[in-house]
Amino acid sequence: MTGTKAIGAALPRKEDYRFVTGQGRYLDDIVVPGCLHAHFIRSPHAHARIASIDSAAALKAEGVISIVTGRELEEWTTPVRMAPPIEGLQPVEFTTLPIDKVRFIGDPVVCIVATDRYLAEDAAELVTIDYVVLDPVPDLDRALAVDAPLVDESLTSNLVSRQSFTAGDPARCFAEADFIVETSFNQHRQTHAPIETRGCCAIWEQGRRHLTMHIGNQVPHPFRTQLARRMRLTESQVTVACPDIGGAFGQKIALYREELTVAALARHLRRPVRWREDRNENLIAASHAREDIARTRAAVGKDGRILALELEIVEDFGAYCFYPANYLARVVAMILTGPYRISDYAFEMKIVLTNKCGSGPMRAPMAITSWIMDGTIEAIARRLALDPIEVRLTNMLRAADLPYTMPTGLVVEDVTPRETLHAALEAFDIPGFRVRQQNDRARGIYRGAGLCCVVESTTYGSAFYKAAGIPGSGHEAGWVRIEPSGAVNASVGLMASGQGYETTFAQVVAEPLGIDPNDVQIHLGNTDTAPYGMGSRGARGGTAGGSVLLIAAQALRDKVLTIAATLLGLNTSGELRLNASRVERRLGGVWTEAGLSLADVAHVAYLDPLRLPSGMEPGLEAHRAYDPPPMTFSNGTHMCEVSVDVQTGKVTLERYLVVDDCGTVLNPVIVRGQQQGAIAMGISGVLLEEVIYDENGQNRSGSFADYLLATAVEIPPIEVISHHTPNQKTPTGSKGMSEGGVMGAIGAVPSAVNDALAPFGVVADHQPFTPMYIRSLLRGKKDQGARND
Amino acid sequence: MKPGRFSYEAPKTLEDALASLTARGDNAKVIAGGQSLAPMLNMRLARPEHLIDINGLKELGQVRLEDDRLTIGALTRHAALSSSDLVHHYCPMLAYAAETIGHYAIRQRGTLGGSIAHADPAAQLPLAALVLDAEIEIRSAIGTRMVRARDFFLSIFTTVLDPNELLVAVHVPTSRQREGWGFRLFNRRAGDFAIVSVATTLELGDNGAINRLRLAVGGIGPVPVRVEDLVTAEVSETGLEGWSARLAAAVADAIQIEDNERTPVEFRRELVAALTRDALDQALERAR
Amino acid sequence: MSDSNSIPILLRVNGRTHRLFAEPRRLLSDVLREDCGLTGTHVGCEHGVCGACTILVDGAPARSCLLYAVQAQGNDITTIEAFGAEGKLSPVQQALHEEHGLQCGFCTPGIVVTMEAWLAENADPTEAEIRDALSGNLCRCTGYHNIVAAIAKAARRRREETVK
Repeated sequence: MTGTKAIGAALPRKEDYRFVTGQGRYLDDIVVPGCLHAHFIRSPHAHARIASIDSAAALKAEGVISIVTGRELEEWTTPVRMAPPIEGLQPVEFTTLPIDKVRFIGDPVVCIVATDRYLAEDAAELVTIDYVVLDPVPDLDRALAVDAPLVDESLTSNLVSRQSFTAGDPARCFAEADFIVETSFNQHRQTHAPIETRGCCAIWEQGRRHLTMHIGNQVPHPFRTQLARRMRLTESQVTVACPDIGGAFGQKIALYREELTVAALARHLRRPVRWREDRNENLIAASHAREDIARTRAAVGKDGRILALELEIVEDFGAYCFYPANYLARVVAMILTGPYRISDYAFEMKIVLTNKCGSGPMRAPMAITSWIMDGTIEAIARRLALDPIEVRLTNMLRAADLPYTMPTGLVVEDVTPRETLHAALEAFDIPGFRVRQQNDRARGIYRGAGLCCVVESTTYGSAFYKAAGIPGSGHEAGWVRIEPSGAVNASVGLMASGQGYETTFAQVVAEPLGIDPNDVQIHLGNTDTAPYGMGSRGARGGTAGGSVLLIAAQALRDKVLTIAATLLGLNTSGELRLNASRVERRLGGVWTEAGLSLADVAHVAYLDPLRLPSGMEPGLEAHRAYDPPPMTFSNGTHMCEVSVDVQTGKVTLERYLVVDDCGTVLNPVIVRGQQQGAIAMGISGVLLEEVIYDENGQNRSGSFADYLLATAVEIPPIEVISHHTPNQKTPTGSKGMSEGGVMGAIGAVPSAVNDALAPFGVVADHQPFTPMYIRSLLRGKKDQGARND
Repeated sequence: MKPGRFSYEAPKTLEDALASLTARGDNAKVIAGGQSLAPMLNMRLARPEHLIDINGLKELGQVRLEDDRLTIGALTRHAALSSSDLVHHYCPMLAYAAETIGHYAIRQRGTLGGSIAHADPAAQLPLAALVLDAEIEIRSAIGTRMVRARDFFLSIFTTVLDPNELLVAVHVPTSRQREGWGFRLFNRRAGDFAIVSVATTLELGDNGAINRLRLAVGGIGPVPVRVEDLVTAEVSETGLEGWSARLAAAVADAIQIEDNERTPVEFRRELVAALTRDALDQALERAR
Repeated sequence: MSDSNSIPILLRVNGRTHRLFAEPRRLLSDVLREDCGLTGTHVGCEHGVCGACTILVDGAPARSCLLYAVQAQGNDITTIEAFGAEGKLSPVQQALHEEHGLQCGFCTPGIVVTMEAWLAENADPTEAEIRDALSGNLCRCTGYHNIVAAIAKAARRRREETVK
């Protein structure tokens, strides 16, 4: 028992001081005397054989220490083998750097190590690489064509993964349906674009045969395991040390080929080597995401009830698989039904390889899900001339339906889609909006209101991976230590890239211990001190990390109170609690000072252990691991207002709100910030961002002049309304969050645009909603209800 | 992205700068604000052997009124242009155009001369110079020449400037009585280069007729284009209803738009119509 | 660092003189970070778009990635390290902290430097003006909402400070 309430407090962040004063310690801020600089020469072709590489002239250039290719790396490292036992997934393997051929523009071919980056880039111009250009596979359609070149020649086609699934009897439902509604959704290729690009610094100590890898990585321990294995080292020989990270969003998880190359070079040269990816490299060669084409077919009753749903989804996965190819689309297919009651369901998913940068998880890899589901509902509403809100309500889960087993077997519980929908509608004031919409339409201004109901899957316990056939665990580990002075240190296997863990986790640890969060220091990112956990991804930080720390802190609290009871001469600790760093005892129903501080107990535990209860180990340290449920779900309802300039096609976001249920909130300010950031990323994706490859596979979006990120002008104020209800199954009661915002925005903005354009009888279903695309829909169309032009 | 090697000098006088240009102009680039040149250097898209930094030539940063012209030094920063009382009074379109360039930090460094010499087809200041019948003052070691804006821009990133020449000033006729101006551009985000831009001035005669209409369009080809042969209607005030829409449609119909990979011709034609109409309406409003 | 083309460069940064030896092509952003040891200025794109590298040159914001160190001789350069150094945060820094206007912190120094200079010239801005001024700094984490609130708060506090 404690008297302090730290969990849920709106504490300003402890980590801010160093960031606002420019004293953060990011990778490039770390000074490593004598460090060399790596620079990669990358393929200018989308698809080509590497005929020869001549680096003789470059080796003589000023400052050049070494130049290596795929051949040297093949000796020093093992290849990637991506072959989880998943039916329908083709195994793939690739070398650290390409040897035979390049598969996308930006594919790293040669690595130059020099005394500085300027000289390395000079030397790169002296390397001659002869390529034999091959026909490219520049897009999804070509990839699936019968005569398409093979991106990966060990496969028989570019279809690297294909799965299908059926639950219930969709065929019967379609046969009996009153209506069959077909809808399609095209989502474009995007990339994470954190403001800090990728980079690393590898230090090999020959004396103790040990590698220290400084790198901003979301999953320090799994990364270390991978790095050790690929370099034929044991994990004991590798330390991963993560400095502050300037954003990650899923791009800093996998062990990339550049990073492995740098580590191998450091070992080979016996000198520290560092690498900084420049922005062009980051945009064309780091990791891409989201390029999906989806089609749904819904069997619908007259009242708008969905009797059955079929999903077809095809994904362009790029040229290399740093993740199992079905990994991202699978989540979409599994959780598609979201907040709706649908039991007859089937999906078919295909993943293809193309000559593009390989794909990976980008904040809400399943982002397209809510757009597809709610977009299908809106299509049903249009077809049946029903109110889309009513169609949602007709199909939406009720509290009495929970826990609800989705047709795919996932159990949804502790979600509140109806409640958040009603709260959002009330906050938005649709009737008031409709009046404005009507008045403005008469003046030639087209406004639209959009809605999207999100059920966000988070956390992913081990049972999820098992069911998916993906080797891996979903557990998280943490330790908490009370020092002899009473100061508290704690660690988890996560790594922060802006989530505020140093504050939220201090709150989680502080509460059971009855202390001020300012007295708790959270240590992250160094694998020598952090426990082996699965790291930060899939919105698991708060739930997995927070829960394990809570469990560990509670265990310590129990130990402290047991010791206190002994010191106080009591039989039991039942009437003791920790509050304000002191032990309190309940006497006559009132909590009173017991004459012991937390520091007093700690002193005994470490330095006077003979006074401990008989049989108790000295010290105050708890180390725990926690495996969350296979999936936890948070939910929310997103609404927005847009205005569309029908003359230019430009879409402007006027207003955005979300009613959010993510369970127990560890720190409401941080949770709101996460929601706003996710929503902004979604808006930016719908309207502006686009990775563009031309018909030759040339990447046309290699700078921030072409890959457009939303600025403060394009993002509207974002109102976050809390409607949190606890998760009954996790120790903290939290449900995980931080990706649902992307899902909601990607669905709400199209919903609003289509509401605005309804008078013209057009439906926008190809993202991004560029002015050019919107105009192409409107060209030749008139407002069908307008009195005069 | 690190630039290739170059040698560097920062001449202290205009004569020194011109002498350097004469000696090394073929392999040199002049850097002023650097907001356009530095990205190209950093990406190794430009590879001069020598950089001549003219930021020290303070005499090139003046704005002066001379008779019926405003003489604006090449080193005048966009921020200075947009806040100058003289420019606001005598050439308000220029002040407005400068305010729309990039972002706050960019405008502190970017210069009028740099923007004109760089000749980006989508840039605001070349478009404004063109429609305002500006004259570009060019100096070299052997003398001075004046080139009309309409003759200055040859193609994308290409002007009549010889390697040994320096753009030192832009001379702009002051705006006339009863002259109104309009300036409209379309971009994806705040501060981006325009996809299409339109600049216009017109004068209202005593009888309410529109005289002296000037119109220029940017973003439709390698250089901004003056639209000639415009019909100026002899109409009274009430007759102006719908005039701007009709003229805008005619301009959009007739204008040559060069195909590029980024933005479809049809789309840009529609933008020309929409922006021209708005710009004309603005100009009319200001003229009254 | 290459010695063959390096020249002596004298920079005045945050009131201190730094003597260094560098090639003319070395970016001011790299020189500030590596030669002057001032790592608060961050590099996000090296083509002037993201704004993370913004510093002040004679009081006016400038992208340090678009300046060569050699160009900045004779100028007064101000970096993030000049703000909030002696324990008291500047109005923008304090407001960003209070309003949760930062997450990963990488874009933050560029925003502090830009907005401190901008607020000095724009004492009573509207929200639209703040967003427009902020549009030259990209943030991938926050969605800008809290940063805008922080700037408005900082503006208010600066006005109150001036009145006093």
